[in-house]
Amino acid sequence: MRQGIVASLLMGVVTVVGVGFAVLGEALEAGLQAGLFWIALLFGLFPALARGFITEEETGTADLLRVGARPSAVFWGKWLFHATLYLLLSIVLIPLYALMIASLRGDLFGWLILWGLGGFCLVSVLTLCGALVARTAIRGALLAVLTFPLLLPLLLLLIAGTKAALQGQSLWGVVQGVLGYAMMMSAGAAWVFERVWREV
Amino acid sequence: MWELCCQSLGKRFGERWVFRGLSLQVAQGMVLMVRGANGSGKSTFLRLIAGLLAPTEGYITLCYQGHPVPDRHRWLGWCATDGALYRELTAYEHLHWWATVRGLQWEPAARADILMTHLARFELADRAHERVRAYSTGMRQRLRLALATLGAPPLLLLDEPDAGLDAAGLRLIEQVIDEQRARGITLFATNRQDAECWGDLCLAMGA
Repeated sequence: MRQGIVASLLMGVVTVVGVGFAVLGEALEAGLQAGLFWIALLFGLFPALARGFITEEETGTADLLRVGARPSAVFWGKWLFHATLYLLLSIVLIPLYALMIASLRGDLFGWLILWGLGGFCLVSVLTLCGALVARTAIRGALLAVLTFPLLLPLLLLLIAGTKAALQGQSLWGVVQGVLGYAMMMSAGAAWVFERVWREV
Repeated sequence: MWELCCQSLGKRFGERWVFRGLSLQVAQGMVLMVRGANGSGKSTFLRLIAGLLAPTEGYITLCYQGHPVPDRHRWLGWCATDGALYRELTAYEHLHWWATVRGLQWEPAARADILMTHLARFELADRAHERVRAYSTGMRQRLRLALATLGAPPLLLLDEPDAGLDAAGLRLIEQVIDEQRARGITLFATNRQDAECWGDLCLAMGA
């Protein structure tokens, strides 16, 4: 767990600092700024979130959880840990992003809503995909195949929303889309998890 | 009165049947010894009972007063040699966490005493607050037994619990089995030749 947190922070910081030096002194357009913001957060989250359940399977503690705990408790427990990690990453990466890549301007309330809803969806998708692939032999490849179609529409929505927030435009359409995605994930992820967690 | 029933149970991995057509009934107070050589399917059988594997054919029912209970994993204690523990947690934290996970209800003030008494039974009280990564093989096995028996589950599944234990540890297992006779069912998988005396019934796997 500790290794996952360190790996996540390191990955996120390296991404932001690396991109920051690459674009130093350049005026970035809003779409690029928005894309870099979400990619930095996603890069940071991926190492820990995708491995959460895989580590439990590899160390054998997943069986202990299967015998003892309700599937919903396991899912939401992991989700809570991942959400905390998202918060921690954001506390470190967002100021770094503002310092090295581009300042947060425009509709700050809109940014906050997108950060909250986007975090909920990212954490739910990655927690579910991590659980789905944990018991398979081809985890790496399957994780990529599973997460790509689930994450891509979400990322496109979040980037479009963040771009609109940067330009001070209305976010309502994007927020509706992300909200719908969040509702679908909150109901669907826990339901799917209960069916894949136990073989019986 | 608890009762465990297996009907025409079979498990296949790929093309290979580990066992097939296994039917048995174990009533409260009985100890079923599951014996057999390595790879004979002892652990697979116990994992099926624990709900960690799905049977390829047949079914398993745990009944209370003649009625099947749903979610039988809620009523069992599980101890396996290869069962993992969290290396960064202490023995006390393991028990505390497990009690929470299983929904064991105690007075908050009495909780610490109950957990420490339970650890003392397994001779772990002195090192209750040390991380598990510093424990020997035998101590880890004692902790697995402590976790399996916490809350006195009616169905106790012991998969080679004697592995890594010294003479005192083996006496402890005998005590655990004797206590379990009074309140439920025990399934005990082992390849020890001298362990037959612990069981009331014997299931020879791979025979």
